[in-house]
Amino acid sequence: MATPSLRGRLARFANPGKPVLKPNKPLILANSVGNRRREKGEATCITEMSMMMACWKQNEFRDEACRKEIQDFFDCSSKAQEARKMRSIHETLEQSESLPPHKMTKLLQRFPNKSHLS
Amino acid sequence: MAAPALQAARQWSGLALGVRLAVWNLPGITQVRWSRYAPEYRDPLIDKEYYRKPVSELTEEEKYDQELKKTQLIKAAAATETSSVFADPVISKFTNMMMKDGNKVLARLLMAQTLEAVKRKQFEKYHAASAEEQATIERNPYKIFHQALKNCEPVIGLVPILKGGHFYQVPVPLTDRRRRFLAMKWMITECRENKPRRTLMPEKLSDELLEAFHNRGPVIKRKHNMHKMAEANRALAHYRWW
Repeated sequence: MATPSLRGRLARFANPGKPVLKPNKPLILANSVGNRRREKGEATCITEMSMMMACWKQNEFRDEACRKEIQDFFDCSSKAQEARKMRSIHETLEQSESLPPHKMTKLLQRFPNKSHLS
Repeated sequence: MAAPALQAARQWSGLALGVRLAVWNLPGITQVRWSRYAPEYRDPLIDKEYYRKPVSELTEEEKYDQELKKTQLIKAAAATETSSVFADPVISKFTNMMMKDGNKVLARLLMAQTLEAVKRKQFEKYHAASAEEQATIERNPYKIFHQALKNCEPVIGLVPILKGGHFYQVPVPLTDRRRRFLAMKWMITECRENKPRRTLMPEKLSDELLEAFHNRGPVIKRKHNMHKMAEANRALAHYRWW
């Protein structure tokens, strides 16, 4: 569908009827794009953490008694970090339809919309 | 051979600097921290074993890498990185963290005095102890230093997360690097602040290192406090999104 028209929508002396739109900012294209809605991630390694804390509760927070649980927790957190890195690399490589917001903003800053004449 | 190559390198780095500045096209932002080296300069590799390997033992990748290095420009190594047997990255990092206003000479002196103090105290204990105890007393100051810092590393950290207008301390796993940093930071803060007046840093640091080596003392207590707070807030772990 074509862009809806602005003729007679704003409150100007030239426009006879009541205004349809009352914008609080001037209707000029900005040189940046808003960010995408962030995907809700979940907390990782909760089970390992709770196992480790249960072990701590039993052994008065001594680290030598809980070596195995602590090692499991470390392994889980390093695996989660690597998975997150692979996922972010994957997402930067993909991007079929349009650019991600920060790249789009950089592109618009290189070819900005001039709201002034000179 | 060396002089014209050096001159060419200097001219090239100057030209590359100009090229780099022209390419920098983010308006309204000026680059404040920059290095004298152009981006194509490689980092030096300081490892005696790598260079002593006979040609027959090198893999394909290493042979290719060595041939490639002959054509590429390499940065100068920092004065603190050496291939000597006495160079220890953990000790260097700790010395840098102790340094104030760039006075590396003083920081290195304090570090040397600390290690000497640790060694002296352990030797006194050794000579005063009986034969069975002498086997258990550790006298190598480097081993004591490494073990003490490892004992001080926290396992889990707390991060303030904003939810519903309030900041909650959420337990969070820490990376290796962050844990090592926290251990060193706690140790240095403890030695700077909580000590009787006119005690010198080497004396206080050696005491703290020996106590941490035996898993007692204020730094270990701080680590346990952190663990206890994390345990108390374990229900908030779901506020994390990573």
